[in-house]
Amino acid sequence: MVEGAAAAPTLIRTAVDRWSQWSDRNFKWLLVAPAVVLILALSIYPLLFSLWVAFINYDFTVPGHAFVGLKNFQEVLADPVARGSFYVTVILTISDVAVEFVLGLALALAMVGNFRGRGLIMSVLIIPLFISPVVVGQFWALLLQRPFGPTNYLLGLILGHDVGIEWLTQAPWNFIALILADVWQWTPFMFVILLAGLTAIPPHIYEAAELDGVGPWRTFWFITVPYLAPMMLLAVTFRLLDAIRLFDTIFVMTGGGPGTSTYTVSYYLYTIGFAQFHLSQAIAGSWIFLVITAVVIFLLVRRLLRVEGV
Amino acid sequence: MARWKKRRRLPIARIVLLTLYMIFLFAPLYWVAITSIKPSEDYLAIPPVWFPKEPTLGHFTAALITYHGLTGLINSVIISLSATALSALFGTMMAYSLARFNTGGQHLSFWVLSQRFLPPIAIVLPLFLNYRYFHLHDTRTGMILAYTMFTLPVTVWMMFAYFRQMPRSLEEAALVDGCTRWQAFRQVAVPLAAPGIVAAAVFAFISCWTEFFFAIILTSRHAFTLPTVFRSFLSFQGAQYGEASALAVVSLVPSILLGILVQQHLVRGLTLGAVRG
Repeated sequence: MVEGAAAAPTLIRTAVDRWSQWSDRNFKWLLVAPAVVLILALSIYPLLFSLWVAFINYDFTVPGHAFVGLKNFQEVLADPVARGSFYVTVILTISDVAVEFVLGLALALAMVGNFRGRGLIMSVLIIPLFISPVVVGQFWALLLQRPFGPTNYLLGLILGHDVGIEWLTQAPWNFIALILADVWQWTPFMFVILLAGLTAIPPHIYEAAELDGVGPWRTFWFITVPYLAPMMLLAVTFRLLDAIRLFDTIFVMTGGGPGTSTYTVSYYLYTIGFAQFHLSQAIAGSWIFLVITAVVIFLLVRRLLRVEGV
Repeated sequence: MARWKKRRRLPIARIVLLTLYMIFLFAPLYWVAITSIKPSEDYLAIPPVWFPKEPTLGHFTAALITYHGLTGLINSVIISLSATALSALFGTMMAYSLARFNTGGQHLSFWVLSQRFLPPIAIVLPLFLNYRYFHLHDTRTGMILAYTMFTLPVTVWMMFAYFRQMPRSLEEAALVDGCTRWQAFRQVAVPLAAPGIVAAAVFAFISCWTEFFFAIILTSRHAFTLPTVFRSFLSFQGAQYGEASALAVVSLVPSILLGILVQQHLVRGLTLGAVRG
C-alpha cells in the first residue's frame, strides 16, 4: 500500500512528461487536427459517401438501394428542366456579376480620395453585405410585388400612365427583379475590393501622367485598368463562384416559377431531392455541378492567391 | 500623395452617382422598416402610405410568437455563437500551425481553401442523409457542427494571413525562456493576434446568422434558425407583409451593427486574407 502510494505520483509524472514531450514534438499536427477532422467528417466523408449514392438507387419513392450504374446521371442530363436551370444559372450569373462589376467600379472611383462624409458613406454602402440573402429577397418581393409594393405606382407617376407589371411572375421582369436583388446585395463586394485596389496604386504615377498632360480617359485606360487588373480578376472570380450557387433569392422571390422558368441549378437539385425525393438523382446532378466548379476553383483561385502573394 | 490626400469638393458626377445609389440602397430598407409598423388596413392603399399615422408593433409580436420567430431567434443565437466559438478556436489553431510550421505545405492550406468554394448543394445532400442516420438531423448540435465546418475556411485563411504578418520573435523569446510550444502559442501569440481573432469571429458569426441553405435542409421543426422562418410567409395567403417585414428587421439589425463594427477588416474578410484593406 505504502509503496504503491509513493510510486503513483512518479508514474503520473513520467506519463505527463512523456505526453508533454510527445505533444511538443507533434505540436503542429495537434493544432491542425480538430479543424481537419471536422472537415473530413462533415465535408469529405459526405462527398465520398455521395459518390456511392450517385450510382445506386436512393429514392424515397422507390424502395431498395440497387446498383444502377450511370442511370442517375443520364436522367439528370436528359431532363430538360436540368438544362433549363443550367442556362438560367449562366444568364443570371453573367448579368449579376457584370452589373455588379460596372457599378462597383463606378462607386469605387467615386469614393477614391478624401472628402467630407466619406467615412459615413463608406459604412452605409457596405450594409447589404451583412444581411441574409433571404431577407434581401424578401425586401425586393415586398417592394416590387403587386398589389402591395409601391414600385408600379411610382413608375406610373414617372411615365404618366398606369403600370401593371407582375414583377415576380412575368418574364422578363422576374429576371430583372432577381438581378436587382442580387445587385443590391453584392455590388458592395466588388466596390470594397476594387476600392482597396485603387487606393494601393502609387499616387506618383498619376502625378507623372498629369505632368505629361495625359487626359483623364487615357489615364483610366492606361494606368488605372492595368494596375487594377489583378484585383478585378480576384473580385470577379470570387463573386462568380458565389453567384453560381444562387438559391436563396429564388426561393423567396419566385419559388422557381412561373413553372420552372427561374430554376437555377441549386434550386433544381433542391427540388429534385426534397420535393420529388429522387435523392440519388439530385446527388448525381450535384456531382456534375461540382466537377464544373472544381475546374474553375483549381485553375483560377489557386493562381489568383499566388499572384496576390497573400 | 497630394492628389489623393487633399480634401476637396466632389465633382458633380460623383455626387449624382452616390446620391442615386443611396436612394437605391435605402429604398428597400425604408419600405421594410415602414411595413413592419404599418397597420394592415394601410397595405393596399393607393397612393401607398409612406408613413403610417398609427404605427403598430403588432406585427413584431405576431412574427415572433404566432410564426415562431422567437424560437428561430433563440436557435440562431445559440447555434451561431457556438459555431463561431468553435470556428475561431479551431481556425486560429490551424492557422497558427500553417503560418509558423508550414504544416502540410501548400496542399493542406489550399485544401482548406477549396472547401470555401465547393457548391454547398454537393455537401449538404449527403450530409442530410448522414445526419438522419446519426440522429443529428434537426438538432442544434448538428447545425453547430455544420456551421463550424462551413465557416472554418474563412477563419483559417484570415488568421493565416494575420499570423504571417506577425513577427515571430516574441514567441521565439518565450521558447528560449523555457515555454512549451503550446504556452508560446496560448500565452504569447494568441493575445497578440486578439484583434484579428475578434474580426474573424465576427465574420464567422455573420455567416452563420445569415445562412439559409444548410438550415433549410438540415433542420425542420426543432432546430430551425431565424432565416428559415421566412418560409412561413412564402404563400402570402393572408398577406403577412407586416410580419415578414418585422422579422426582416429583427434579423438584420444585429448583423449590420456587428458588421459595421469590424468594417476595417472587411477587405481581408471578403478576400480570405488575400488583400490587405
